[in-house]
Amino acid sequence: MLTYILFALVIGSVYALLAQSLMLSWGLAGLVNLGLAGFFAVGAYASAMLTTWGHAPIPLGVAAAMLAGGLVGLVVCFSTLRLRDDYLAIVTLGFAEIVRLVASNEVWLTGGTDGISGIPVLVPRDAGIWFHAGSLAIIAAAVAAVYLLLRRLLRSPWGRSLRAIREDQTVASVAGKSIVRFKAQAFSLAAAIAGVAGAFYGHYTSYVAPDLFQPLITIYIFLAVTAGGNARPAGAVIGAYLLVAFLEATRFIAELAPGVSAVQAASLREIVVGLGLVLVLSFRPDGLLPERSQKAPAL
Amino acid sequence: MINRRTLLTAVAGTGALMAAPSILRAQGAGAGPIRIGALNPVTGSGSPYGSGMQKMILAAAEAVNAAGGAAGRPIEIIAEDTQTNPQAGVLAAKKLIEANKVQAILGTWSSGVSLAVIPLCNDAGIPLFHCSGAPALSTPPANAKGLGFRFQATNDRFGRAFAEICVKEGFKRPATMAFNNASGIGNTEGFRKAWEAKGGKVVESVVYEPNQSTYRSELMKVLAAQPDVIVTGSYLADTTILLREWFQSGQPVRWIIPGWAANPDLIKALGPEVTEDIISVDSVSNEGSPAYAQYDAAYQKAMNQPGSANVYAAMTWDMVNVLALAIEAAGSADMAAVVPKLREVGNPPGTVVSSFAEGKAALKNGKINYDGASSVLDFDQYGDVTPDFGAYFIKGGKLERRYIVKI
Repeated sequence: MLTYILFALVIGSVYALLAQSLMLSWGLAGLVNLGLAGFFAVGAYASAMLTTWGHAPIPLGVAAAMLAGGLVGLVVCFSTLRLRDDYLAIVTLGFAEIVRLVASNEVWLTGGTDGISGIPVLVPRDAGIWFHAGSLAIIAAAVAAVYLLLRRLLRSPWGRSLRAIREDQTVASVAGKSIVRFKAQAFSLAAAIAGVAGAFYGHYTSYVAPDLFQPLITIYIFLAVTAGGNARPAGAVIGAYLLVAFLEATRFIAELAPGVSAVQAASLREIVVGLGLVLVLSFRPDGLLPERSQKAPAL
Repeated sequence: MINRRTLLTAVAGTGALMAAPSILRAQGAGAGPIRIGALNPVTGSGSPYGSGMQKMILAAAEAVNAAGGAAGRPIEIIAEDTQTNPQAGVLAAKKLIEANKVQAILGTWSSGVSLAVIPLCNDAGIPLFHCSGAPALSTPPANAKGLGFRFQATNDRFGRAFAEICVKEGFKRPATMAFNNASGIGNTEGFRKAWEAKGGKVVESVVYEPNQSTYRSELMKVLAAQPDVIVTGSYLADTTILLREWFQSGQPVRWIIPGWAANPDLIKALGPEVTEDIISVDSVSNEGSPAYAQYDAAYQKAMNQPGSANVYAAMTWDMVNVLALAIEAAGSADMAAVVPKLREVGNPPGTVVSSFAEGKAALKNGKINYDGASSVLDFDQYGDVTPDFGAYFIKGGKLERRYIVKI
């Protein structure tokens, strides 16, 4: 049971990284990024290929994942410069699908639909419970590092400019802020964080395949960020862990429900997940931790 | 006031409570039920099969328990849903292994899910029985510990059967079309290998993406190579579109299609004219066998449909029986002892049996050979079954079995 809880916590930590990535691009910069699964995949593949086939050390793989995620983020951002809101959402959704299709078709590059198995892990697998505990410690440290970084950025003039751009692009550019530069920086940084999440996911489960990066994961992260609060790093992190706890708890609740067969329980779970989202949105539309309005700094 | 007696009672009570978990634990390892995980695609793209698969696991376990259980212990099934998604499947498998302490996981379906779940089974030292076709599941790293057992023919074997049929039918210029997943590509690659080993050449091969509304451009590319037969690794939905668009093109060509796609539903969707003379290839489920009759009855009762509607449910039915017989033969639910027995109870030589109750009785007199509902279930060194294949021709809207292909 303990390793199962640790396992869920590791998955929760990976989601927490993804949620912080989404918090930065969506909650702060107002860029609706439905391509999260794509950046997640880019990072997972970059690190998996480098460490499994290139026998590079894992830290190098994670760094490569960050770089690859950031660069791809920059490319996506510059190709969508003039898009906002719905249009950006459509393009990024398409981007994630392209990544998945490339991963499943370019067999020479990615191993195709068989995926890459036997990816090196952070802590030796035969260490039993320490494998899970060690991996959790490393990935949770990454979550904390990203959290501190984002908090620092948020309080800085950079973070304020980003929020100003989110609220009104015209006003911000009249105030002398370069909209393009800020957006590109935020989007690229967010993509790099998603890439790191992908790398850690691969190094924990030691298997990546195109099937893993279906849009479902993006939806889950949107759910987490919406529940936690989309403009605060703490909200994103808490939302991600709550989401995993909730998803896993529904398994046991469905088992307890009287007169429900196993097959019905599976469908019941999905109903409960949907119901959860509806309840959160009706009672806490801004999430558990809504954005705090910041006072202007004293002159 | 707390007097001495109430204090003592309280202390004794607390002690008993603290000891209780260890009693429960002892039962888990010894006399209590043997816990088995049913991990099936109840929702997602495997949902047409998943609930039937899960219900047959439950039904087969009920039959085992009615016959007195395996090694004297009843079997308890804990069911989970993979959502036909590797990530969800991994979490569900982890929950089964860690929270429910299952001794085996039965019935994963898509290759992606099986590939993602098998490392967890390797870590825990428990077997994974699956219905996936991907060749990668036979060998290390996926099957490094020999714990993966495949109840479905590998796609590679399907490909070999296709090649045999091509030779028999005198085709000279085959082309292939594959659905882009491990299973679809496995079929056509298996075919290409077997065909080239016979000195033939594949004139064109196309891999197409799932869930498209049209496959016209892929089809045109294949037809432009003027093949005399198109061999597919496809599923029902995409095959329906492919054949409709091919028929509209008017170019004569024959088709060899796996049985899970070229089935009565396909004929119903397209009509007898389009489907005339298509060759459907399927592993011959053991239809004449007594095991199949029992499975069929159980499936009718649970799903209100004939057992032939779901080949994978026949496989999960066999999974429970083989596992229970191996536990019976090993005399314990310790998987290190049970796994080597799986081949002993499934493969010849031995008295042929077709149910757990029959096998349990026959085990007293020596070795047994379980012949299942899905196939005769003889495992090779990779834990794969090698069923025979049937070549079915569609004639006037009916599937007619012409001959059996042995590979």
